[in-house]
Amino acid sequence: MQKTRFPAVVSTFIVSYAFWILLTWSFSAQELAAGAVVSFLVALFSARFFIHERSFWLFNPLRLLIALFYWLGVFMVELFKANWDMAKRCFGGCKKVNPGIVKVPVDLKSDYAQAALANSITLTPGTITMDIAEEDGQTYYYIHWIDVQKPSGKEAGDAIKGTLEKWLRRVWE
Amino acid sequence: MLRIIIDVLIVVGAFFALAGTIGVMKMPDTFSRMQASTCITTMGVIGVCLGALLYAIFIMGSPSTAVKVGVIAALVLTTNPVGAHAIAKGAYQAGIRPEKRMETDDYRRDFDE
Amino acid sequence: MTDLLIFAIFFAALAAMNFYRLVKGPTAADRMVAADSADILISLAMVLFSLYTGRGIYLDISIISAMLGIINTMLVGRYLDKGRWLYHAEDNH
Repeated sequence: MQKTRFPAVVSTFIVSYAFWILLTWSFSAQELAAGAVVSFLVALFSARFFIHERSFWLFNPLRLLIALFYWLGVFMVELFKANWDMAKRCFGGCKKVNPGIVKVPVDLKSDYAQAALANSITLTPGTITMDIAEEDGQTYYYIHWIDVQKPSGKEAGDAIKGTLEKWLRRVWE
Repeated sequence: MLRIIIDVLIVVGAFFALAGTIGVMKMPDTFSRMQASTCITTMGVIGVCLGALLYAIFIMGSPSTAVKVGVIAALVLTTNPVGAHAIAKGAYQAGIRPEKRMETDDYRRDFDE
Repeated sequence: MTDLLIFAIFFAALAAMNFYRLVKGPTAADRMVAADSADILISLAMVLFSLYTGRGIYLDISIISAMLGIINTMLVGRYLDKGRWLYHAEDNH
């Protein structure tokens, strides 16, 4: 089990305190003090699960800006296209499906980048990441795809990931 | 004018939620039903919460309501894929297979045999 | 004003349609997916109803409902996976 480090506790404390303020949205002194105590306890117990590598990567403003552009711009367009495709499939009687599970290579190294890419793929309708495996230093995703057009490997990866991987590499590496 | 924009956003959310519900009811196998349910939790949530956000800011004029609606949208959008991933892997490992055998199934090739 | 109420009733009706799969579904995963969808649709209906009545308490209930739905889904998924994640976590560290 990983040991709890002090910078990880600090950054987890900042994130959970911001979450407390967003949820209560009242600025009286009592509520702020209670929030500080509670989020310090939460940070003490959960910092070792939340932060694995560098502690303060989250607070670099340039990265936050690129990440914001990624989530609100690039990803929303992909999301809307995939949703429209899925809605056509559903209203068309649910007959035009060709499901299958493909294996796709991924070049990202950081834990957070891999988790973000897997979550983005799962969030678009039509693809669900089922498992992550590592063979010979190369990471593979097993992806359930509702309409298999290409066999496993790099072509299927390009069709599923699109430009998402490029943007995530720019955010995290 | 603002009411029309809000209504259009909520109607978009309701349209995709209806599509997802029909998919959950009528899709042929378990994993396809999971795919259809993703439709509800992405575009339905985004449409409705965006409309509710505009309503809370410009018509009700209460920032705490707006912040809470935003927190609901962010929470559902960040945590839902974790649950979807967990239940897809769990269903496959528990031996749930579609009735018609899938044509490309690399997961079965690598882990079952 | 009433359009918000109409949309809230529509979302609640969609959640009731999901209950068809919840009752009929052949496997546990089907039931869990239908329950999760119904949970999120009920959350959305509660958001719209809160805007209609102007009372903030429904928003808090909606947040709690969404959180509990996610936790339920993850627990059932991990149970179907035979609790294998516990051993993985100890191997890695």
